[in-house]
Amino acid sequence: MAFISELTGKPVTDIDGVKIGVLKDLVARLYKEFNHPVVDAIVVQAKDENLIIPYTEVVVLLAASISLRQSQGAFPKYNAQDEDIYLVEDVLDKQIIDTDGARVVRVNDIELVRVNGNIIVSNVDVGSSGIFRRIGLTKLASKIIPGLRKEPNRGCISWDFVEPLRHNQSMRLKVPADKLAELHPSDLADIISDLSHTETGEFLDNLNLKQLADTLEEIEPDYQASLVKDMADEKVADILEEMSPDEAADLLAELPANRSENLLELMDDEEARDVRKLLLFHEESAGGLMTTDYVSIKPNLTAEQAIKKLREIGEEAELIYYVFVTDDENHLIGVFSLTDLIMAQPKEKVTEFMHKRVVSVNLRDQQDEIAQVVSKYNLLAVPVVDDQNVMHGIVTTDDALDKIIPTSWKKRLPRFFGTLK
Amino acid sequence: MSKLLSIYREKWLKNPRLRRIVLLLSVFGPATITAMADNDAGGVATYSIAGATLGYPILFALFFITILLGVTQEMGMRLTLVTRRGLADLIREKFGVKVSIFIFGGLLIANLGTITVELSAIKTTSRMLNIPPMLFVAGILLLAFLFITKGNYKLTQNIMLIVSLFYIVYIISAVKAHPDWGLALSNLVYPHGVEWTRAYIRNYLIIGMGVLGTTITPWGQFFISSFAFDKKMNSETLALSQFETYWGAFLTDFFSFFMIVATASTLFVNGIKLESGEQAALAIQPFAGHLAGTLFAYGILAAAFMGLIIVPLSTAYAFSEFFGLSGSLDTDFNQSKVFYILFIAQLIVAALLITIPGISLFQMAVATQSLNAMVLPLVFYFLIKLTNSTKLMGNNANNGFQKYFATIFSVLIVIASVITILTIVFHW
Repeated sequence: MAFISELTGKPVTDIDGVKIGVLKDLVARLYKEFNHPVVDAIVVQAKDENLIIPYTEVVVLLAASISLRQSQGAFPKYNAQDEDIYLVEDVLDKQIIDTDGARVVRVNDIELVRVNGNIIVSNVDVGSSGIFRRIGLTKLASKIIPGLRKEPNRGCISWDFVEPLRHNQSMRLKVPADKLAELHPSDLADIISDLSHTETGEFLDNLNLKQLADTLEEIEPDYQASLVKDMADEKVADILEEMSPDEAADLLAELPANRSENLLELMDDEEARDVRKLLLFHEESAGGLMTTDYVSIKPNLTAEQAIKKLREIGEEAELIYYVFVTDDENHLIGVFSLTDLIMAQPKEKVTEFMHKRVVSVNLRDQQDEIAQVVSKYNLLAVPVVDDQNVMHGIVTTDDALDKIIPTSWKKRLPRFFGTLK
Repeated sequence: MSKLLSIYREKWLKNPRLRRIVLLLSVFGPATITAMADNDAGGVATYSIAGATLGYPILFALFFITILLGVTQEMGMRLTLVTRRGLADLIREKFGVKVSIFIFGGLLIANLGTITVELSAIKTTSRMLNIPPMLFVAGILLLAFLFITKGNYKLTQNIMLIVSLFYIVYIISAVKAHPDWGLALSNLVYPHGVEWTRAYIRNYLIIGMGVLGTTITPWGQFFISSFAFDKKMNSETLALSQFETYWGAFLTDFFSFFMIVATASTLFVNGIKLESGEQAALAIQPFAGHLAGTLFAYGILAAAFMGLIIVPLSTAYAFSEFFGLSGSLDTDFNQSKVFYILFIAQLIVAALLITIPGISLFQMAVATQSLNAMVLPLVFYFLIKLTNSTKLMGNNANNGFQKYFATIFSVLIVIASVITILTIVFHW
């Protein structure tokens, strides 16, 4: 076991013991059926050039001095390939995606292990002990970091869970289907917010429509807008249909007027109509925050009929735990929860067990007021009505609290001072 | 410009409420934020002592400092827009751990100095308002911590409003003091109208460094990237951001200009040596009359509070970029903990430093802001090197003017730093 920080800078000598340079980098390659890259070549910084020497020419790598099998000039040429990973150049000090912890982290060191005569990359060190090792203070690290002596691998991530981000090269996601797809959209969104432009583009290409829509919903609308800027209109329209109408409206509001009109034209008529309605409201008012995907039923139904009806309409709804009761003009007259419904007798009329005093907010109410209502009454969602008590939608708790509870420091700092528009 | 207008127009037409927001932004936009954040209590103190000790000729230095501020902030903004990485991220990726620790150390020391000045300003305020100083400082520290945990944009904006009103007081005072405008403005072009004694030149050098270090701050270079981070690069946003950073630089020093004119035309002209807050308050007497002292106290208090938030935050922020805090340093040492500890530790160290008796706010301001200036070339070196790189920046790498202007001034700052240190050490 060795760390790359301990190897670089070591002298490299040829068969006669003549020093030809110092070790600068290791070239590793991923082989099929094996999750860890195997070191295939070493980069030696010679007097005036960098030599790439195949690993087969190296007698011993994990040693105080690296010796080679032949004399200088007699080395076979290394067959460089596109998917070669230069461990120092591409990985060390760079950001990687830790797919296990769903976060973007910085590589402080790289751990190498000898397996069957090969050197493989076993772990990347993203912990503080890696930083101490880099500056030659390993002993100090074991004193001040609790538990390090017991677990020397603390802060290390196995390469199985590493997705390197490689600048100026297309990112090849190893197993996008299972590694990234397993992540929660909100984790994906966090990762995206840490990537560079070229990386985000490629990252998004690896997601399917549903994932894209779900992930975009977790990102701030102004940044969403910049992500879809270079996508084809048809694709964006498909994504918008997948998104809930309120999120779709927020995104459209951020796009240039003519583009958002085009996109609405491309969208399915019914979805587009809902979104258009939401676009009329200011984005931080109840009208702007609400979604029209709620469930409502008529007051003349019985509990039994209501359950049947819910099975039909519940699929599309963002939240079916609250069932709203509206009259023919869509006036909000009552609400009941799924618990109320299940506990009621099958023949009981919904008007008998529904709550008639419904807490609601007005279309024009601001986000902080809605958040207060939601937290005061411990609601999962609050209905939005106009001045005539006609129901227009619901604001779910997460949308109401979204902008009030900051998600991370990186996003929080600009929030203190207002981001640039 | 036409591109800029079309962006604004489009936003205006799209949403009538945005019309109001855009109007507001033109006053409280990033430009103003930069201006407010740059002109913290250390800034007010340094500009005051510059105006009082040197008079109008320091405006000559301010002119170049403004351009340098614009150029370097624009570089930082462009760097983040193009690479979507902060300056600290890139230093770490391109230059490794050791360089990162070195730069972070420089930033930490410079920031600690600045925080000490902010606290020192708060101490001065407490004396002016007759409140027991240590109690007051402790109270403010508690408030700062509450602000960090509970604060929001609205509150920030209100504090900034107070600070900007305070600066406007300086503008009115400068006008009401009937300064020699011809002399003031011509000093922007070439320094003149004073006797160039050895003592004056010495002061000009030391205080000039202070003015440089308080206007262009090392932390400001790291801070700017947090604004650029969430934006997508395209030619429009780039043009807009470039305009905004230059406008911000202008606005910052627009206020600084009037602060210097106000102090020069009241204190320097009458030969008053600046030693206390009361004396500094004389600069706003033409406007505030007998309320000048109180107004100065509240103004500098708000400015200090702003600095007390932003500067330690910028340290913590840079730390996270340098050392990958978003990945948490150790699994049991979670992200926010490190943030809070870093934040509080800086405040506590600064609070201990101000208990050293006998140092006035103004001496401390000049000393720490000069220190800031000496750290600048170090930061500039990496900023220029990174933004010069076409490999990293593509078509958006520095043009000739940006490259040479920033490089020449970095060299000049190094030379000035060396001379300043020699001057102080050998009592030239």
